[in-house]
Amino acid sequence: MDIEFSAEDLTFQEDVRTFIKENLPAGMEMWTKRGEWFEALRKKGGWDVAKWPVEFGGPGFTPTQRYIFDMEMGRNSTPPQLPFGVGMLAPILMNYGSKEQQDRFLPGIRDGSVNWCQGYSEPGAGSDLANLRTRAELTEDGKHYIVNGQKIWTTLAHIAHWIFCLTRTSSDGPKQEGITFLLIPMDDPGVEVKPIITLGGSHSVNEVYFTDVKVPVENRVGEEGKGWTYAKGLLIHERTGLAGIQNSVFALEKAKANAGTVKVGDGTLMDLPRFKNKIGELEAELMALEFTELRSLASVSAGSDPGPESSIMKLKGTEIQQRISLLNLEAAGIYAAAWGNEPIGPGFAKAATGGYLGGRATTIFGGASEVQKDVIAKNVLDLGS
Amino acid sequence: MDLSYTDEQLLLRDSIQKFISDKYDISERIRITASDEGFSRENWSAFAELGWLALPFAEEDGGIGGTSVDTMLLMEEFGKGLVVEPFLPSVVMVGTAISEAGTTAQKAEIIGGTIDGSLISTFAYAEEQGRYDLNNVVTNARSDGDFYFLSGAKSLVLNAQSADKILVSARTSGDSTDAEGITLFLVDAPAEGLKLKNYPTIDGLRASEVSFDNVKVGKADIVGPLGGAAPIIEKITQRAILALSAEAIGAMEVLYQDTISYTKQREQFGHPLSDFQVLKHRMTEMFMEHSLAKSLCMKATMLEVQNAEDAKRTIHALKFLIGKAGRFVGENAVQLHGGMGMTEELRVAHYFKRLMVIDSQFGNADHHLSEFIS
Ligand SMILES: Cc1cc2nc3c(=O)[nH]c(=O)nc-3n(C[C@H](O)[C@H](O)[C@H](O)COP(=O)(O)OP(=O)(O)OC[C@H]3O[C@@H](n4cnc5c(N)ncnc54)[C@H](O)[C@@H]3O)c2cc1C
Repeated sequence: MDIEFSAEDLTFQEDVRTFIKENLPAGMEMWTKRGEWFEALRKKGGWDVAKWPVEFGGPGFTPTQRYIFDMEMGRNSTPPQLPFGVGMLAPILMNYGSKEQQDRFLPGIRDGSVNWCQGYSEPGAGSDLANLRTRAELTEDGKHYIVNGQKIWTTLAHIAHWIFCLTRTSSDGPKQEGITFLLIPMDDPGVEVKPIITLGGSHSVNEVYFTDVKVPVENRVGEEGKGWTYAKGLLIHERTGLAGIQNSVFALEKAKANAGTVKVGDGTLMDLPRFKNKIGELEAELMALEFTELRSLASVSAGSDPGPESSIMKLKGTEIQQRISLLNLEAAGIYAAAWGNEPIGPGFAKAATGGYLGGRATTIFGGASEVQKDVIAKNVLDLGS
Repeated sequence: MDLSYTDEQLLLRDSIQKFISDKYDISERIRITASDEGFSRENWSAFAELGWLALPFAEEDGGIGGTSVDTMLLMEEFGKGLVVEPFLPSVVMVGTAISEAGTTAQKAEIIGGTIDGSLISTFAYAEEQGRYDLNNVVTNARSDGDFYFLSGAKSLVLNAQSADKILVSARTSGDSTDAEGITLFLVDAPAEGLKLKNYPTIDGLRASEVSFDNVKVGKADIVGPLGGAAPIIEKITQRAILALSAEAIGAMEVLYQDTISYTKQREQFGHPLSDFQVLKHRMTEMFMEHSLAKSLCMKATMLEVQNAEDAKRTIHALKFLIGKAGRFVGENAVQLHGGMGMTEELRVAHYFKRLMVIDSQFGNADHHLSEFIS
């Protein structure tokens, strides 16, 4: 055992740090200069698609390099990419898509010109995703699928150009077996998007309705009836990404800074034992979670599966995100209630309220916590079905 | 000992329940909160007619002579209905101040106007640098001849945009954190030098940042002794905490019950969600949290009626538990509703937000736990 990074890894870390120092837009430019940031990442040698393999233009990082890369990016809170294209659909296309599909879709995913959304969940198929009912029927000439049905909770469907969908092509046999993975353009006249307003009045999720949408068979990824297998592989990617450990390290530092500005008596909130204890607990747990990620990476480096440790990342990671958001909410004090257009009270208060409310979703999407625990009990601990 | 409500109280409860089931479903609440004032004047008049606005006031002041127990009963029902009308600021907060310390003239005007529904009032007490310490007051009252001139700023003043009278805590002597030297003033709204920045709160209510720039008030507008407002403010706070706690109890009841009905009816994996043991246990815990918080709410309220001094420590314990239980029940109600729990369409989200705000007011769970153990 050796806790130190190798000399090469340390050099790599320096390289990443220097790159960030030289290229990361400061302050509000983080948003206006996003494009330039991603361009710089691309030019650096595929750093814009850090997780993609070399043959698709990725940098070919070793697992340790990827860890270092994520850590440095997360701790500097660099602009995030929308997850659906680069992080979720791309790996599926690389593994199961045809050469034509890869050539057609990957460039738009990479340069951000085409937005994707994920059409899995349905009113009757949330945790029990395999219960989905959106029907795709092959036309007699075998050239098209006719799609009818409804998706729900589709994040950013209202700005997406395309949706990748799980659809039902057969109802015979086990539910998992009749599912087919289709790519559908959102501008089809048979696609209708209705907004869903969530806690705090924000609009990010939608209902998506399909009425006789005609999808060419070329838009099917892989084989008919195999969609479940493809999607399951992807869900693992999604879940590891959702732990957000490095972002939490950043967020916790920020929460401490926020609390340090809140006056209590002669000191600040950071001087109150109860508050400090909570910070301390989170720091210790985050430290442990970070090292858990390293352990899981080590198994991957050694050529095996991510290891059972990886399964707890999403569960614990999202719990920690929520607890950090609660610290901010508490720091906001009475101003946690204010919800005007302008900020009221401390500058961080409105984001604290929004963050706490929005953050409730992290233990619901991408596998709700209760169900994730079932999965771990069954697959890791061998505790029956 | 007797822990049951009287027949009169049960009648009162029936009438509130009837009003809420007839007039106050979640879509109606959403409609009301989107209106200009964020509450319904029509409902407010109805409350006056039904006698609810007279509930805690003494008979000699024209009230019904109820106690904190009656307010608890009413607020618990208001919590179930998630009522937004300004009962807390007008009746509980300003009402307590005037009942405790008002002059005969002030009682006639303010209590009289509150009871008949013609006057709305609110209490401006919180200042940013003070966090939860209500004795930390820098808003200043400068005395000049027969008048006082108020300057400073108050935060999160509930329903200030609708208030005819704003009760303000201001410093007439001493240092910024001294308990001595705080005085209560009644300010007419609008008034010269009085500025309001109005905004909605996350739970659908209305509040304002209120600033005072040499606002002129007469000596007749002082409530209670000059420089001696601290005990009155403490009383207001206690009553407000009791009222908010009862409201939270009502809100928690709706949340755990809605979660039970939802999980019974929602099926996944070929079973109602309520079949899954982990969810059964979670709902059992939600029920337990509600039940314990309710017990403490009753205890603190009954103690307060008997002897406010004895009730102090219990009230700290209560507000701590309300914060903790409210968070647990609220967060889990959302969690167990899955994506549906995140939507503004179901009432769960609204009750959850209300509980979140209740914890943030008059000291959160941490604050009251420290007070409780100190
Ligand atoms: C903000 C947000 C964004 C989303 N974005 C997308 C998206 O872009 N694309 C997409 O396809 N989906 C998306 N989703 C949907 C998300 O994946 C689902 O909400 C999630 O799978 C849970 O399903 P559900 O909401 O139907 O809850 P349900 O499955 O009804 O679950 C409700 C509760 O029951 C519990 N439960 C369910 N089954 C069991 C069991 N067997 N044992 C114990 N407890 C159980 C759950 O843990 C949960 O607490 C999003 C959701 C949210 C909230």
